[in-house]
Amino acid sequence: MTTLYACSHVDSPLPPLPPSYPSSSSSFSPLSNLYFCEECDAIRCNLCVAVEVASYFCPNCLFDVPTANVRADKNRCARSCFSCPQCSSSLSIQGTDPKGEASSSATFAPGPPYILVCSGCRWSSKEVGWEFEKPTGIALQSQKMNSLPETIQSEYDALKDHLEPYVSNATPPVSSAGAARRPSRHISQMTQMASKALNREVPGMSAISSRVRGSGSVLRKDGEQEKVGWDDLGEYGAKGSWKALGLERGLQDVETMRKLDHSGAGGLATLESRWGMSWELDKMSNAILPQRISLQTKLTKRCPHPNCRHLLIQPDVKSIRMKIKMVAMNYLPHIEIGRKRRRILGSDTLGYVDDSPTSSEEIERRRRERRRTRAPTAKEEDEEMDKPLRAGEVYIYKLALTNPLYDPIQIRLTQPHGPRNAPQPNHHLHIPTQHFTINALKDAWAYDEEDEQDDPAFGGSEAGVSEEGTVTSGTGTGTGTLSKKSRLNVLAGGSVREKRSRGETGVDKKGNTSVVGLEVEVSSEAKGKVEFDLEVRYTYRADEVVEQVDKVKEEYKTFTFWIRVNVGVVV
Amino acid sequence: MGAFDTVITYEKGTYIETDTGNKVSRKATIAGAANIILGGKSIIQTGSILRGDLRRSTAGQHVVISMGRYCLIGEGTVLRPPGKMYKGAFTFYPVRISDFVHIGPGCIIEAAQIGNGVEIGKGCILGKFVIIKDLAVLLPDTVLPEGTVVPSMSVWGGNPGRLVDTLPETYQETMEAKCKGYYQRFRLAS
Repeated sequence: MTTLYACSHVDSPLPPLPPSYPSSSSSFSPLSNLYFCEECDAIRCNLCVAVEVASYFCPNCLFDVPTANVRADKNRCARSCFSCPQCSSSLSIQGTDPKGEASSSATFAPGPPYILVCSGCRWSSKEVGWEFEKPTGIALQSQKMNSLPETIQSEYDALKDHLEPYVSNATPPVSSAGAARRPSRHISQMTQMASKALNREVPGMSAISSRVRGSGSVLRKDGEQEKVGWDDLGEYGAKGSWKALGLERGLQDVETMRKLDHSGAGGLATLESRWGMSWELDKMSNAILPQRISLQTKLTKRCPHPNCRHLLIQPDVKSIRMKIKMVAMNYLPHIEIGRKRRRILGSDTLGYVDDSPTSSEEIERRRRERRRTRAPTAKEEDEEMDKPLRAGEVYIYKLALTNPLYDPIQIRLTQPHGPRNAPQPNHHLHIPTQHFTINALKDAWAYDEEDEQDDPAFGGSEAGVSEEGTVTSGTGTGTGTLSKKSRLNVLAGGSVREKRSRGETGVDKKGNTSVVGLEVEVSSEAKGKVEFDLEVRYTYRADEVVEQVDKVKEEYKTFTFWIRVNVGVVV
Repeated sequence: MGAFDTVITYEKGTYIETDTGNKVSRKATIAGAANIILGGKSIIQTGSILRGDLRRSTAGQHVVISMGRYCLIGEGTVLRPPGKMYKGAFTFYPVRISDFVHIGPGCIIEAAQIGNGVEIGKGCILGKFVIIKDLAVLLPDTVLPEGTVVPSMSVWGGNPGRLVDTLPETYQETMEAKCKGYYQRFRLAS
């Protein structure tokens, strides 16, 4: 029972692929996770927005780490936050009293040395021999205590110095000619080889090619062409040899095996706890060292459109508020599905279910017939929403649309057309009420006054729509199109009244929510999930209302989006 | 939102409604009521235990549990202030719960602070001095060890609890609407 909203991912808005294509699921997300770019007038989702880090903070001490320090701190908290090597919860600092007298004499707080203790699993840093003199700045103290063996550290520093110029140089050097993009270090070896092949000397062409390329590159005296713009990463020579450490004899592994014999397989650290380690250390679980807690980020999100790049989300570093928050929830009607009822078919109508309809005309004919015959024969029975569907049954749902805007909106509900050769869906969808309106969002106390009577202001604005004529109800691409006459009626705001006179109200309005019916006829051989897409087009009054002296001109705009409704599983 | 949510009813006489709209079950155990502040429109359900009597031992008025608006204490949940040895004496510290906090049924809460818009699933255990910042979700059956800090906009789960996800930017509105909706749906059976 979910409704998901489609995001076209920077593409121009088009109906998504039907639910029978599993790949289409990537463009759907819940409304609460979507953004809305006002400039592009489009929905954006987490998969397509451009993300920048606004700030870094430690999730344990909640300290905002300046961006300049993050790299030096290796993306981890540089204060006193450590996570337990056994259970990954945060460690607390505890004083010890080696003499055992502080606990008896009530006035003394426990003093140094301090240890890290896990309140979750009672692990303590005594097990790995970590003890500190001060209860603050544990990270610094542990760094001093636990630096790596000299050989490894110096090798690491040398390697870091060697790579430093390339790492810190964010933009790859631009070639002097600047005409062609040369492969930078970001491009794989494969591309480099391909481009080398392209630039290969062709016999007989050397004179021309050297002349052409002469502008872009310089020929050295020894004939070797200098690679302009290529990464000139020099060879790195190791300072020491791994053989000097005695690693080739595998003594470490022998040691590990010996410990394993002693402890059994349970003594081995889990992969999960070794995952976050920077480098290979002891594999035994009782030798794993606590790690500093990784920093978390607050993210700024931008519209991914190359010509837009407007901010969609800008968090406030100091609080939970957002400075900019362009979320789809404030623009699109919120749609929910509920109130499932199963139709108990009379014996004369059972025949419909068995013959599988072939043409759209056939479906249309049946629909009309059903509408005519519905009232007297069909009985309906309430069912639990999570109860599995049964093949060959007709279910009636209610679809509730909630308007987030301070203006009334008009809705058109249709079923989008899938690709021509898409697999047949396992059900037929019928939307009895395709055109209706939703009242404006108001402050809570304003609703009471206007309940139970038609909103006069709203009726006026509806009339405004039809008079102005800026809105047409599209080309009627829905599977069950209304006749021209009734479409006009909808625009004139007559549909509700008309329906009421016929004894059934297609739309239930309450506050800024309108509820309409929806019929799903599960075909007799259906299996698996029953999902369908709906195209929702809504017409709203644009913000820019141009007021002239004698005439108020109101501009109406439409926005179309697609939702996917999952109504359950057939068993 | 919440167009199809059903009304949650209670029998007449099982809940007491206060002037500020708090609904407190008669079958909830509330010890030391003088030390408990409810912000209004909060619901305390059947079988829950609020230990307002565990106050600081020094003389004077002490607030032990303070709760904001639109909060929910689920059925059978135990809420007690955290305590520890401080300068040689055992002392309790107050629990501060902000607005729009839903605590599910069967939880044991010894947190020091629970921020705005926090949802705690059923069967969670929060150790002493846990701090939950604004806007966080604890999945059902999460266990947080003593002194854990849950930052804003995060989802925690598991035993011991760890960060499993982050929340969408719209969560504040979602949670406030949910809490208000729950309060409005929690009515006397007619």
